[in-house]
Amino acid sequence: MKKRQDALHIRIKRQMKRRIQGLVYFIKRLWAHPKGKIGLSVVTFLVLVALFAPIIAPFDPYDITERAEKGLSPRLQHPLGTTINTGQDIFSMLVYGTRVSLVVGITSGLSIAMVGAILGVTSGYIGGFVDNLIMRAVDVLLVIPSLPLVIVLTNVLGRDYWIIILIFVFLGWGGLARTIRSLVLVIKNSNYVRAAELAGASRWRIMIKHILPGTSHLLIMSTALSTAGIMVAEAGLSFLGLGDPTAISWGRMLAQAQEGGALLFGAWWWIIAPGIGIFLAVFSFMRIGIVLEEILNPKMQASAGIFKIFKSLDSSYVEKVFDSMDEEDRQKTGAVAPQPSAHSWEDV
Amino acid sequence: MKKGYVIKRILYSVFILFVVTTLNFFIPRIGVDDPAERYYPPQGNMSDAEYEVIKQLTREEYGFDVSTPEQYLNYLGDVAQGDFGTSFRSGNPAVTGLIADRLPWTLTLSATTLVLGLIGGILFGVFAATKRGRWQDTTLLNMSTIMTALPAFFIALILSFYLGFEFEIFPAYTNPNLVGDFSFSLDGLQMLARNAALPIISMSFGSIIGYAQTTRNAVIAVTNEDYIVTARAKGLPQRSIRYKHTLRNSLLPIVTSLGFSIGGLLGGQVVIEQIFNWHGMGTLFLEANEMNDYPLMMAIMLLLSAFTILAILVTDLVYVLLDPRVTVGEKR
Repeated sequence: MKKRQDALHIRIKRQMKRRIQGLVYFIKRLWAHPKGKIGLSVVTFLVLVALFAPIIAPFDPYDITERAEKGLSPRLQHPLGTTINTGQDIFSMLVYGTRVSLVVGITSGLSIAMVGAILGVTSGYIGGFVDNLIMRAVDVLLVIPSLPLVIVLTNVLGRDYWIIILIFVFLGWGGLARTIRSLVLVIKNSNYVRAAELAGASRWRIMIKHILPGTSHLLIMSTALSTAGIMVAEAGLSFLGLGDPTAISWGRMLAQAQEGGALLFGAWWWIIAPGIGIFLAVFSFMRIGIVLEEILNPKMQASAGIFKIFKSLDSSYVEKVFDSMDEEDRQKTGAVAPQPSAHSWEDV
Repeated sequence: MKKGYVIKRILYSVFILFVVTTLNFFIPRIGVDDPAERYYPPQGNMSDAEYEVIKQLTREEYGFDVSTPEQYLNYLGDVAQGDFGTSFRSGNPAVTGLIADRLPWTLTLSATTLVLGLIGGILFGVFAATKRGRWQDTTLLNMSTIMTALPAFFIALILSFYLGFEFEIFPAYTNPNLVGDFSFSLDGLQMLARNAALPIISMSFGSIIGYAQTTRNAVIAVTNEDYIVTARAKGLPQRSIRYKHTLRNSLLPIVTSLGFSIGGLLGGQVVIEQIFNWHGMGTLFLEANEMNDYPLMMAIMLLLSAFTILAILVTDLVYVLLDPRVTVGEKR
């Protein structure tokens, strides 16, 4: 019994070590890239700001007793001035807003990758009715305009942050699942998967052990990009006053600025500050995503169609990555892989 | 062969529309046993008996007094006839009329943005592709990451701050009399253009850069094709190669990206309309959201989804017509 446990322990340890080594390798590659260096340092900086917000911020924006004179312009004590209607310190609000943006963005990004991977792999490997069902669901999700749907769902379900994250995940997995599926269709025909099937491995084992690792580069990349996308979406939602009403977020700061008459009274600092926050966060995550794309697939030069992923959370650009990999694969194995076309609903 | 594909494509679009309609029916019913509770949530100062009466009235008014499957069938029938029910606003106006009132205003903004984005994007994209790797090209790449990181509503706020309030070039908010005073005269159109300028400019930035990026990539992909090399080897003038051979073939990816971008454009416009208080569907949707006006909200959602489905359908069919190489009947 003891021996068995030890063996298990060693195995888990070894696996953990391998995982960590993989992560370190990734970060090293990212760091070696000049653009990746910028992205990585900004993200690290933002994470530190979010973690140590109470230490960095000179005031607590949630505390109604810590209010200064209203509508101060930037000065030594208030580096970004104060708000016109409540007299909160804008710099402190900016610092605390990092938390909301990062938590919502990263949690949703990771969850989207997870859901997208599970459904994409299931759809591609099992095929048949399950595949059909999942892909039709993707088609439906991609035609409903996302912002109005998010608004309706928050109206029905509530506006807590965890609900908003759930909604983002529910709406965001479609494009990724479709891309993963097409990749799985290629991997499915590779020799090692055939060998595993012949050896009598169960479906689940094949999906988790043999197919999932083959899609990991897409997952890592899309996590960075969808995190960026979600952060903009969250800012937009909060800007409309439909985010969590109790939290201070950058989008809500902009909304308050508009309502509080920042435009009218010329309080430019009140508008610029949250804008810079959103910009830095989204920009750095996108940089990381683009650099990962270049590192993982040197055939893809620069940021092809990154824009599209953003607009409709549609990962058509990843499809292009996949196209080029598919090409490579066909050349290597000589196998006839399904030709992914530019059509969105090609397999009707 | 193409005919069969077209019919299949249209039928599939109808199917997707049907699924979206079904979702639309069930979304207000999530989390409540009785949709009347959603339509008329309990107020603080109401006794149970009073609330029961109100619920009963609501049920009768909105046809909730029959079983759910029956309600669903009724809903489908109404939608098929273009009847989306009545709004919660005072006087209970028909939803269809409310939307029809706002639709032209919304389409004015989106259509102009789309046209500006396409013209500007294609010109800029071709330009960047011809200067591939030089500073003009890298500028486009950098701008596209910057523009995606800057949400349109932030650009709109900045524009309304500087162009609207500081320098007073354009009105920072839509003139409330615009809708009432509008007429198809020179003055009316001028007034419309002045008021629509800022919303359109703030949305166009992202649109132009997005299409420019797509165009640039498509043009570069086509440039490496054999027929371009042949054309060059034949000694055709640069101009003719660029516009006749390259651009024409690279239009295809742009057409495909168009379908999805139209949906994104209409959805994203909600925020812009709110900032400038534009008399469009976006503001109507937000007003409906504030009043928990579900019939109105769901009708707008359905309409926007239908637009997207139609746009994707049309672009897909145009794609097939444009590209003689796509032989749809024989795939796989």
